[in-house]
Amino acid sequence: MSFTQNKETKEAEEALVREFQAGNLEAYDQIAEIYQKKIYALSFNMTRNPMDAQDVTQEVLLTLFRKAHTFQGKSAFSSWVYRITLNATYMKLRSKKKEPNVSLEDLLPAYNASGYQQEKIQDWSENTESLLFANETREVIQKAVDQLPEKEKVVFILRDGEGLSTEKVSEILELTIPAVKSRLHRARLFLRKKLSPYFEEYNSRREKK
Amino acid sequence: MICCKECLDLLSDYMDGDLDPQTSADLEEHFQDCPPCIAFLNTFKSSTHLAGETLREVDIPEVVQGKMKEFISQQKKKKS
Repeated sequence: MSFTQNKETKEAEEALVREFQAGNLEAYDQIAEIYQKKIYALSFNMTRNPMDAQDVTQEVLLTLFRKAHTFQGKSAFSSWVYRITLNATYMKLRSKKKEPNVSLEDLLPAYNASGYQQEKIQDWSENTESLLFANETREVIQKAVDQLPEKEKVVFILRDGEGLSTEKVSEILELTIPAVKSRLHRARLFLRKKLSPYFEEYNSRREKK
Repeated sequence: MICCKECLDLLSDYMDGDLDPQTSADLEEHFQDCPPCIAFLNTFKSSTHLAGETLREVDIPEVVQGKMKEFISQQKKKKS
């Protein structure tokens, strides 16, 4: 399910950037067209606020317009755009009072002394596809993602939301591969635990029918 | 045989295909004898998939796209 940027796309984008750097303003339109959806979606998923996402999109487009000449190609252009987007998004988040995050540790699986699972696990995984685009499901999922601590949230959004590769995420966030993997794993564990009660209840309602 | 903790610690790597064949086989051996871990794996896959899909649904509203277009053309006018 990975949408890792392929080589041709990367080269085509970097050719556009070079054209824009050389003064071709039309190339900028195409850059903006390619990136505005990604910028908006990333910022919206991080802030869950349409006005903030709009502000961030505009700010990043402006930064790209003014600063593209400073892009040196040390990392992929797309990584640079993601990084600028995250910085602008963090500025928005910092300016707001935050609800305390739920502790991740409480939501990790519980084991006995020999390392065996102690919880009773209900398998609710069948029949969830029909729930996918229901409003209620969307709200439950968004709420759970919002409760993730920021470090885990950003990795989850980039990896499993944007579908970027582990390597790409490590480049964007300037983290090691093991650090990306460990944050992703914790985020997924957290979400499974948070979402399970909702899907278990849905399953038991179905069975009663 | 590996225990549940070792198994669940490796679940993301297993799901993403990042494990070597031997470790993958060890996990699968554990799954055969451990229904709770199978249930965990299935629900882990489902919640990851559902949450990822939900995030991917986000699209930039048309009205915002219009505003961005206008903003961009203003910037270009300033520059030229």
